[in-house]
Amino acid sequence: MILLSVVGCSSAVRSGQSTALSGIDLVQMTDDMAMKIAGSSEVQQAIAQHGPLKVVVLPVENRMRAEVLPRGAAEAFVGRVRTLLSKHSPGQYVWIMNRDAYYSLRKRELEGVELGPPPDEINPDYALTAVFSSLADENAKKRSSFYVCRYELSDLRDRTVLWTASYDVKKIAVKGFGD
Amino acid sequence: MNTPLGLITRSVLLLPLAGMLAGCANQKQAETIDRSVRSYFDGNYAGAAQELDALSKKTNEDFVLNNLRLGSSLLAEYDLDDAEAAFLRAIEVINSTGVNDGGRTLGAVLVDEKVKVWKGEPFERAMASFYLGLIYYMRQDYQNARASFENALFKLRDYNPDTPDQSKDVDSNFAPAMIMLAKSFQRVGRDDLAEANFRAVREKFPQLADLADPAANRESNLLLVIDYGHGPRKVTDFDGSIVGFSPRPDEEGPPPRPTVLVDGTPVRLQNFATPPVDLLALAQDRKWQSIDTIRAVKSAVGTGLLTGGAIEGVRGINGSGARQRTDLMVAGALVGTGLLLKATSHADVRQWEMLPRTTYVLPIKLPPGQHDVTVEFSDGQRQTWRKLIVPEKQDATYYFRMLRWNSGPFDWPPAAFAKAEQ
Repeated sequence: MILLSVVGCSSAVRSGQSTALSGIDLVQMTDDMAMKIAGSSEVQQAIAQHGPLKVVVLPVENRMRAEVLPRGAAEAFVGRVRTLLSKHSPGQYVWIMNRDAYYSLRKRELEGVELGPPPDEINPDYALTAVFSSLADENAKKRSSFYVCRYELSDLRDRTVLWTASYDVKKIAVKGFGD
Repeated sequence: MNTPLGLITRSVLLLPLAGMLAGCANQKQAETIDRSVRSYFDGNYAGAAQELDALSKKTNEDFVLNNLRLGSSLLAEYDLDDAEAAFLRAIEVINSTGVNDGGRTLGAVLVDEKVKVWKGEPFERAMASFYLGLIYYMRQDYQNARASFENALFKLRDYNPDTPDQSKDVDSNFAPAMIMLAKSFQRVGRDDLAEANFRAVREKFPQLADLADPAANRESNLLLVIDYGHGPRKVTDFDGSIVGFSPRPDEEGPPPRPTVLVDGTPVRLQNFATPPVDLLALAQDRKWQSIDTIRAVKSAVGTGLLTGGAIEGVRGINGSGARQRTDLMVAGALVGTGLLLKATSHADVRQWEMLPRTTYVLPIKLPPGQHDVTVEFSDGQRQTWRKLIVPEKQDATYYFRMLRWNSGPFDWPPAAFAKAEQ
C-alpha cells in the first residue's frame, strides 16, 4: 500500500527522457539566432544602406525524420527570434506578419493585439525562414536524433541569402525495463 | 494516544480506508471508460469524447491510453484539432524513455503491473502515430504527416535482438503507414522517395501492388481511409499471469473487402480494396518480455507454495502436540506467501479498445465536385456520407469508422469540422 501510494504520485509526463526538441532548445536556439542576426556585419550593413529591414517571418518547415512539429511550435521557433530582435533592436526591423497569421488573427478579432499593416498593403523585402532537418533512428535499445536547425534571412528581391546560421543538437534516449 | 505507537496504530487503521477510497475511485474510472467505449461503438463519438475529456488530463498511469481513446473518438467526430492534441500528448510519452523508471517499475514487478505508465504494444504505438499522420494528411500538412508515418514505422520494425544497433535496414511490416508515407512524399514533391516507398510495399506485400502504384495515387483526388472491425483483445490464461491476444486471424476468417458507391454507382476499385494490415495478426507477433517471465515465475512459485502449504497443513491436521503447531504455522506462512504471489502476478490487460481490425486505404479518381459516397461490406455494414467535396487537384481525405449501428447517412461537413473551419 505504501509502495503504491509512493509510485502513484509520479506523473506520466514529468519523468522520462525524450529526443524531441524541447523548450530548452527553443530558448537556446532562438537566443543564439537572434544574437547572430543582430551581430551579423552583412545585416548591419543592409540596415545602414536601406534603413529598417522589412521582414516577413514564416513558420519553420519540418523536414525532420519521425518528429512532428505542430503549428504552434513551428511558429514559436521563429516567433521568438522576432520578439528578441524587436526588443533589443526596435528601430532596425519592420516586422510584417505573414498572410496566414494576419488573417487568422484578424478572424479571431483579438483585442490588444497589434496586427501591424495588412500584408497586402506592404511588401516585405526580407524573409526570416527556418528549416529543421534530422537524422533519427529507433531500435530496441534506444532512440536517437541529430538535428540541424537552419535559419535564413533572405532578400526576397534578388533571392540572395543575407544571413544564415544553424543550431545543431544530438539527442539519445536509452530504453529501459518499462519501455 | 499521541504517542508514536498511537500514530502508528491510527495509520494502520486508516490504510484500509485509503485503500477502499482508492478502490472506489478506480471503480468509478473503470465505469467511465466502459461508458465511453460503449458510446464510441454506438457511434456517439461526442459522448465518448465528453466522458474521456477529464480522464485524459490526469497524468497517471493511464494518461497515454486515455488520450488515445479520446483521440479515436475525436477523429471519428472530425474534431481534428482536439484529436491532434490528444494524439500528440500520448505520443510524446510513448516516444519518451524512462517514464517508468524507479518506483513505477518496482511497483509493477512487486505489486501490480498496472502501476506502470501504459505505453501500449508495438501495434498500438504504431496506430497512434498512424492516426496522427492521417490527421495531418487530411489537413494537407504533408510534412508533419510524413514525419508521423515515419514514426509509426519505427514502432513496428523487426529487430535482430542480438544486433539491435544494426537493425536500421530491417523493414517495418506496417503497410498502411508505408503507403501513406509514400503518398506524403508525393505531396511534398519528393517523387524519388515516394517511388522508393511504393516499391518497398510492392516487394514486401505483392498483394498490395495496385494500391502501391505511384500513378494511381498521384492521380487520385479522393482518398478514403476506412477503419473496419474490432482490434485484438488482450486476454490472460486461467490464473491471469500469461497474456495473449484474441481472436486469432484464422478464428475470424479474412477481413471482407469493401465496395464503394459514388452517387449510387459502384466504383471499380481494382485491388485497392485488399486489407493492407490485419491487427489480429500483428498482435500475435507480441514478443515475450522480461516482465512476462517475472509474472510467470511469481505465479509458478505461488502455485508451488500453495501446494506445499496444503501438504504441510494436512500433515499438521493429522499430527499432534508441538509438531502439529509448527506444521500448521508453516502451512499458514506458505499459503499466505503463495496467495500474495498469485495475487501480484496478474497480467496488465489494459488496451486501446477503439482500434479496428484493419484500415483500408482507397485512392479514387472522381470528377471534381460534390458526391454522395457509400462504403459497404458483405457482412451488411455500410456507411454513407452526402456531399463529400472532391477537389480538382491533390486529394481530399475522408475517414470512415465502420460500425454496425452507424450507417448514416451523414452530411458533409460534420458539425465539429464546420466549427473549426469557421
